[in-house]
Amino acid sequence: MNRENQHRDELMSDIIIQVSSLYKTFSATIPALVDFSAQVSRGEVLVVIGPSGSGKSTFLRCLNGLEEIDSGTIIIDGIPLDENEKNRLEIRREVGMVFQSFNLFPHKNVAENINLAQRLVRKKSRDQAMQTTMDLLRKVGMVEKAESYPAELSGGQQQRVAIARALALRPKVMLFDEATSALDPEMIGEVLEVMSTLAREGMTMVVVTHEMGFAREVSDRIIFMEDGRIIEQGETESFFLAPKEERTKRFLDQIL
Amino acid sequence: MVKKATLIDIAKFSLLVIAAGWLLVRGSSQAGYNWQWYQVPRYLFTIEDGVFIPGPLLDGLWITLQITGCSLVLATIIGLLTALLRLSNSLVGRIMARVYLEIIRNTPLLVQIFIIYFVLAPIFNLERFLAAVIALSLFEGAYASEIFRAGIVSIHRGQWEAAHSIGLSVFDTWRTIILPQAVTRILPPLTSQAVSLIKDSALVSTIAVYDLTMQGRVVIAETFLTFEIWFTVAAIYLVLTLSLSQVASLLEKRARCRVW
Repeated sequence: MNRENQHRDELMSDIIIQVSSLYKTFSATIPALVDFSAQVSRGEVLVVIGPSGSGKSTFLRCLNGLEEIDSGTIIIDGIPLDENEKNRLEIRREVGMVFQSFNLFPHKNVAENINLAQRLVRKKSRDQAMQTTMDLLRKVGMVEKAESYPAELSGGQQQRVAIARALALRPKVMLFDEATSALDPEMIGEVLEVMSTLAREGMTMVVVTHEMGFAREVSDRIIFMEDGRIIEQGETESFFLAPKEERTKRFLDQIL
Repeated sequence: MVKKATLIDIAKFSLLVIAAGWLLVRGSSQAGYNWQWYQVPRYLFTIEDGVFIPGPLLDGLWITLQITGCSLVLATIIGLLTALLRLSNSLVGRIMARVYLEIIRNTPLLVQIFIIYFVLAPIFNLERFLAAVIALSLFEGAYASEIFRAGIVSIHRGQWEAAHSIGLSVFDTWRTIILPQAVTRILPPLTSQAVSLIKDSALVSTIAVYDLTMQGRVVIAETFLTFEIWFTVAAIYLVLTLSLSQVASLLEKRARCRVW
């Protein structure tokens, strides 16, 4: 193997999400993603910010195939996200997602919500699944609510359970789609704390958020986007201290 | 205070019932009708040497229960499949489902029963019981499918996305996430559909299936107890449908407690 190849292999193994020239439109006039390319390295925490309607969530939802792309390529951990239904399922099992509106299954209790994928996808026995489930609930501080139904929990508690559910298949990547935007202010902290812990443990994360304090503290890199395009991206510190683009400065002035 | 209001309501209601009863009795005596309620029990059942022997009306009730039971299961399956077809990506599937719905809902059940019994049954060599079950299932299935469809569509998109995001297959998503929630929501309308099924089953007496209604007609033809037997038959249907509604509301309460 020559040097060049070796170098490329190292690069390949380090990059877990590879997105090239994504295009996506919801209607003929409103582009959601325009020539969007990005990479995420293993263990990296990438935060995507931008005004509402800029395509942040769409980008995130494309990564696990919840939105169809018009063109471009998405490769996650070496698996291309394409027409192949098997690849799509495989990617979804490697990628956990946390939604703005929690989306817990209301007819199942907390433990069942987290057990479900383990039992159906990984074919674990109830006992095996329960072990993982209790570990995860301990991690998000929800052990005592294992038997509760989602409707009996506060928003912050539901979101912590949703994080545990997304972690149940031991994903390599976690996507957070405005995970704290639907929460009452006093509950945002508990959810961000769980997210920070995950980041510290080395989880690869792509986070869409409006919580700039959290972004600054936890992320390695920031992407700022508007109208489906990347306006600016960079290391977190330099991005916040010395943004290059005029548009970025204006956005940061507005929200900070 | 509530109690007093309830008492007044009960009093009003009783007065109404008594008035209606009095009108009926007066009217029938003017028409020269000779009430013979004492004759009725023997057509329900008799007891000989301590052995319970069902009479023709109970025999008929048993047939009615069999027909509605079979039709209920079949109509549920047809309804669910049609709903899934209508929601599917397959154009052919959607068209087929639509054509079936429009035909069934826009023709009289009685005509459908006749077509199945007089046209299809001889071709496919079906017994009349089977013909009755098929006709009722196809009819009620069309209405059940609309109920299923409404229930499925009412499930929030986030539930689909959550199920997808944890890598559930399409089949598992339907089975464990969408249908259980949809069924809880549609239990009330599905029950009233089942009540309709029981009532509509009386129409199969027209193809000489010996259900409750047909037995009633036979008994009346033999005994001329027209008023008593029709009242009895109606009362039996009433007991059947009311207890079904009762069971359903119990089920619904239990499901609701768990979910919401």
